[in-house]
Amino acid sequence: MSDNTTLKVSDYLREPLILLNTNFNSTDELFNGVNDIAFAEGFVTDQFLPKIKAREATFPTGLQLEDRGVAIPHTDADTINKEFVAVVVNQQPISFKRMDDPDSTTPVKVAFVLGLNQPHAQLEMLQSLMGIIQDSSILDKLEAATDQKDIQQILN
Amino acid sequence: MNKKINVLVACGAGIATSTVVMKKVEDLFKENNIEANLIQIKIAEAASKQDDADMLISTTVLPTQYKIPAIKAMGFLTGLGVDKVKAEILDTVKQIQSA
Repeated sequence: MSDNTTLKVSDYLREPLILLNTNFNSTDELFNGVNDIAFAEGFVTDQFLPKIKAREATFPTGLQLEDRGVAIPHTDADTINKEFVAVVVNQQPISFKRMDDPDSTTPVKVAFVLGLNQPHAQLEMLQSLMGIIQDSSILDKLEAATDQKDIQQILN
Repeated sequence: MNKKINVLVACGAGIATSTVVMKKVEDLFKENNIEANLIQIKIAEAASKQDDADMLISTTVLPTQYKIPAIKAMGFLTGLGVDKVKAEILDTVKQIQSA
């Protein structure tokens, strides 16, 4: 495990799973949109969509930051065939329930959908993702990105 | 010599956020010379594993009451209130070790 090379968030980006200027109105719409591509491209099993929806309902993943929300939806490792971090930048904020308080919501324009199946090998990537989430200037850039290459550069 | 404590680190799936929090807690304990076993779990497993543990650190809402002290550690993910979370964890460790 320790001899794994350090992987960055950008190493987990897959071009079809960078979704910009989307118009999702709810978390379910967002999951449907990500799953349509992820399933067609073989990244996930047919259990991914029902499981990620159920998981988000029970253990939501909205993180309330100082000036906005970010979400990191994910679900069981056995639904992931090929690992990925999908980036969704929606035009309007979507209400995500908060991880620390499911009775409250947070407005999310940028969501990172994590398709992970070996979490312990990915500590560095997850830590750098948390660093990104905590940096509002990076989130500003992600929200303003116009094409997939921008996202790859910002997260590199 | 303080006793070695057993700490459950939980998140919803036991896969992403608990991995990050494990590392943060490991570092915190190392800095403070606290000896601990950290066990990464899904929050759903906490009730059945609490008998063998001294405290629970979680990134999710706590679905039930536990017999052991339970701390919400969202601050490690968002960066908001990190110092408070760390202080709460260290205080709880002290209480466990002095009990």
